[in-house]
Amino acid sequence: MANTGWDEFEIGAMLRTFNEPIENIAGTLQEDRPYSENSSFRASVADWRIEKPVFNKDYCIDCQFCWIYCPDVSIISRDKKMIGVDMDHCKGCGICVEVCPTNPKSLLMFEEKADEEQAIANWPTKEEKEK
Amino acid sequence: MAFDKMELRDVEVWDGNFAAAQAMRQCQIDVVSAYPITPSTPIVEGYAKFLADGYVEGEFVMVESEHAAMSGCIGAAAAGGRVATATSSQGFALMVETLYQASGMRLPIVLNVVNRALAAPLNVNGDHSDMYLGRDSGWIQFDAYCPQDAYDLNFIAFKVAEDHDVRLPAMVHQDGFMTSHTAQGVHTLDDDTAYGFVGDFKPMNDMLDFENPVTHGVQTEEDWHFEHKARQHNDLMTKVLPKIQNAFDEFEKLTGRKYNIVEKYDLDDADVAVVCMGTSVETAREVALEMREKGIKAGVVGIRVVRPFPFFEIQEALKDIKAIAALDRSSPNGAPGMLFNELAGALFNTDTKAMLSGYVYGLGGRDLTKKHLTELFTELQANVDAGKITTPLQQFIGVRGPKLAFL
Amino acid sequence: MSEMKKIKNLKEFSTSADRFEGANLLCPGCAHSIIVREVLNATNDDLVLSASTGCLEVCTAVYPYTSWDASWIHIGFENGSTAVAGAEAMYKALKRKGRLKQPDRNPKFISFAGDGASYDIGFQWISGCMERGHNMMHIVLDNEVYANTGGQRSSSTPIGASATTSPAGRVSYGEKKNKKDMVAIMAAHGIPYAAQVAPNKWKDMVKKIQHGMAVDGPVFINAVSPCTTEWKFDPKDTMMLADLATDSLVFPLYEIIDGHELNITYRPKNVIPVEEYLAAQGRFKHLFKDEYKHLIKEWQERVDANWEYLNRREEARV
Repeated sequence: MANTGWDEFEIGAMLRTFNEPIENIAGTLQEDRPYSENSSFRASVADWRIEKPVFNKDYCIDCQFCWIYCPDVSIISRDKKMIGVDMDHCKGCGICVEVCPTNPKSLLMFEEKADEEQAIANWPTKEEKEK
Repeated sequence: MAFDKMELRDVEVWDGNFAAAQAMRQCQIDVVSAYPITPSTPIVEGYAKFLADGYVEGEFVMVESEHAAMSGCIGAAAAGGRVATATSSQGFALMVETLYQASGMRLPIVLNVVNRALAAPLNVNGDHSDMYLGRDSGWIQFDAYCPQDAYDLNFIAFKVAEDHDVRLPAMVHQDGFMTSHTAQGVHTLDDDTAYGFVGDFKPMNDMLDFENPVTHGVQTEEDWHFEHKARQHNDLMTKVLPKIQNAFDEFEKLTGRKYNIVEKYDLDDADVAVVCMGTSVETAREVALEMREKGIKAGVVGIRVVRPFPFFEIQEALKDIKAIAALDRSSPNGAPGMLFNELAGALFNTDTKAMLSGYVYGLGGRDLTKKHLTELFTELQANVDAGKITTPLQQFIGVRGPKLAFL
Repeated sequence: MSEMKKIKNLKEFSTSADRFEGANLLCPGCAHSIIVREVLNATNDDLVLSASTGCLEVCTAVYPYTSWDASWIHIGFENGSTAVAGAEAMYKALKRKGRLKQPDRNPKFISFAGDGASYDIGFQWISGCMERGHNMMHIVLDNEVYANTGGQRSSSTPIGASATTSPAGRVSYGEKKNKKDMVAIMAAHGIPYAAQVAPNKWKDMVKKIQHGMAVDGPVFINAVSPCTTEWKFDPKDTMMLADLATDSLVFPLYEIIDGHELNITYRPKNVIPVEEYLAAQGRFKHLFKDEYKHLIKEWQERVDANWEYLNRREEARV
C-alpha cells in the first residue's frame, strides 16, 4: 500500500477486514479467515519486543490464563489446548508469564535473541515454596 | 409496520419548513436524528407529526444536541440507509465538527439548513452566516430561494448525494423565516412519483452487512491524510456538478420545473448584474426589471449550487457583464465577502473586463429592500458609465450610522 | 432471540475465535485489549462497534490497518456512543422495512470509550443514549486519565494521582478532586443494567456482559483498565494491578439493575490495604512522603465508606 496514490483506494478511508464474505465470523478461526491486507492480523509487531516468551509445553496444564489475559491475541489455543505463541503479534509484555500458575512456569521471558531449544533445555526446576 | 401515503393537492400552501418536511417524508428516510432549533424547528416537528400520524416507517431519534444529531446521522448512514436531519445557526455551528467527519467518511446525509445569523449578539433571523460556515466542510450545498425550491431540492439532494459515484453529504439551504416561515403555493409530487424520482437507497460499505465487516473513521497521519483529502476534493470538483445537472434534467422532465447550477435572469444583454443567493434573488429580479424600464440593462445571477462552486458556469454567465455586484449576507469579518472572492477567483484569468464590487447586506434578518437594490444597480451603471469602479469595493448596505465601506 | 454463548470455564472460553486482532498499536501490557477481548468473546452474535477517540481508537484503526473483525466506526472524541445509537436506529428501521441483508441475525451494538471520552467530553452524548433507550452497551475503559494524549487529568482521575495537568509538585500532591461516580450517574437514568467490571475477574465480566446483552435497552459498563504507561508500573504487572484494584475495593465489582437494585458481585476473601494498591503505581509515589501520608489514610477511609455504602444499598434491596 505504501505508494498508493489518491485515486487508488476506497472512498472515505474505509477499510475492509476480509477479502470475501464470512457467514459466521465468530465461528471461524483465524487460520480460516480470508484477511485482507488491511487487517492488522497481517501485520507484525515482533520488532517491538526486547524479551520474548518461550513456551514449555511439558509443564502446561492448559488452564488458559495466558490466553484470556494476553492483550495481543498472541496465545494460540485450539481445542482447549495451549499450542504456542504468535510471535508476529506478541509485544513481549510478559503478562502470560506472570499469570502462569504452574511450578515451574510453562512460559518464561528470555532475551529476544535467545535460542529457544536451549532455553527449554535449561528450564528451571520446580521451586520449593518458601512460605 | 405499514405506513400510509398522504394525499396531496397539486398545489399546496406550504412554508419552506413544511415543504422540506414533506419532501423528507416522501423520500422514506430510514433514520432522522434531529434536534430542534429556530427557525428549522418546524421541519423536525412536521416530521415528528408525520410519524405520529403513521406516515413514516423509518426511525426518528430526538437527540440531546445538534452535535449528537449529526453524530447519530453519521452512525446511521455508515450502518447503511437513507439519513437526513435539519438545523440552523448555532446548532449548525455545534455540528461543524461532525460535518467534516460526515463528508470525510463519504456518507450521503441530507441536511436541511434553515439559514440564520450566528451569535453574538444572539439573533434568530435569517442571514447566510451558517451557510458560509459550512462552505469548507466538504458538503454539497444547494440553495433554495423559496418554499418550492426547498421542496424540490431535497429530492435532488438525496439523488445526487447517494449516487455511488458521489457519496457525499448535501445541504439544502433556505432563508430563515423569509422562506422557512413564509407560506406560498408549492407544486407537489404525489408520494409514489416523489419516491420514484429519488429511488431506493443502495447501500455501500454498510456496517450492517455482517458478512463483510468494514472499519469507518480511521486515523490517517502525514503519510495518508493528504491522499484521502485529495480524493474527496477531486470527487467534489469533478463528479458532483455533472450528476447535479443530470438530476436537474431528469427533474425537469418529470415536473417541468427547471433548475440550473447557476440561475441566470435577464442576463443575455445585461450590462450590470447582481449575484446573490436565497430570497434576495427574487427581490433582485424584480428590481432588475424595473431598472430595465429606466434604461439600465440589469440582470441577476442566483447561485444554486454553492459547493462545489460552479467556477466555469459563473465565468460563462458573467462573461459579457460590465459591472458585477457580489452580495454577501454574512459578515466577512476582516476580508472581502465569500461571494466577492469566489467571483473574483473565477473571473480573474478570463478575458472579461468586468468591474466587481462587493456588498454586505441583510445581517441578522435585516431586510434587503427594493430601494437598496435600486441604488445598487444605479451604482453599477455609474461604474459602467465611468469605465471604472466609483465606489469602495466593499460597502455595507442597510446598516444605520455613518456610511460603512472598505477597500 | 439468539442463544447466549455457553462459557462454563476458561477452557471452554478459550475456544472462542477472537474478533479483535493483534499487531494493533496499544502499549505492551495494555489492559484495554484484554477487556475488549473478554467483551467480544462473550458472544457469538454479530457486532456493530464504535470507539471514541482515545487509545483504543488510535491504536486499532490507523490507516491502512484495522484490528477489528466486526464493523466498527469512529467519529470523534465525544460521540462514539451516539454513532452506535445511530447504527442501532438504522438496524431497527431496516429490520422493520425488511431491508436487512442478513435478516436473521441478532447484532449487539457496543460503544467503547475511555474515561475522558465518557466522564468528561462525551458525558452528554452517553446520557442521551442511555435516556433514549437504545439497545446498546457503552463500555468505559477506565484508566483514570487521558492516556492517549500523554496523561492529563480527567474527572475520573482520583485524588492524589499525579497527572500532567494536575501534577504533584513542591506544593501539590496532584489531583485534588475525587473521582466522579459514573456508574451511579448512569444507573440514575433508570437503565436496565449498569455494572463495574475488571479484566482480572473474567468470569464476572462475561456474566455481566452477557446480562447486558440480554436485556432490552441501554447498558452502561465501567471497566477498570490499569494503564502501564500512566499509572507507571511494569507492563507485565497489569493483571497484578487489576487484582490490587479489585481486592483493595478501590474498584469494587457490582451491578445495578433497573437503576436501583444493587448487587455486589465480588467479595475478596482477603481485602488488601489501599496502601498496597497505591504503592504499586508511580502516579501515587509522592503520597508516601511524610507530608502526604494522611492522604493514604483518607483514601482508605473513602474506600471503606464506599464499600459500606454499597453493602447497605445491597442489603436494602430497594
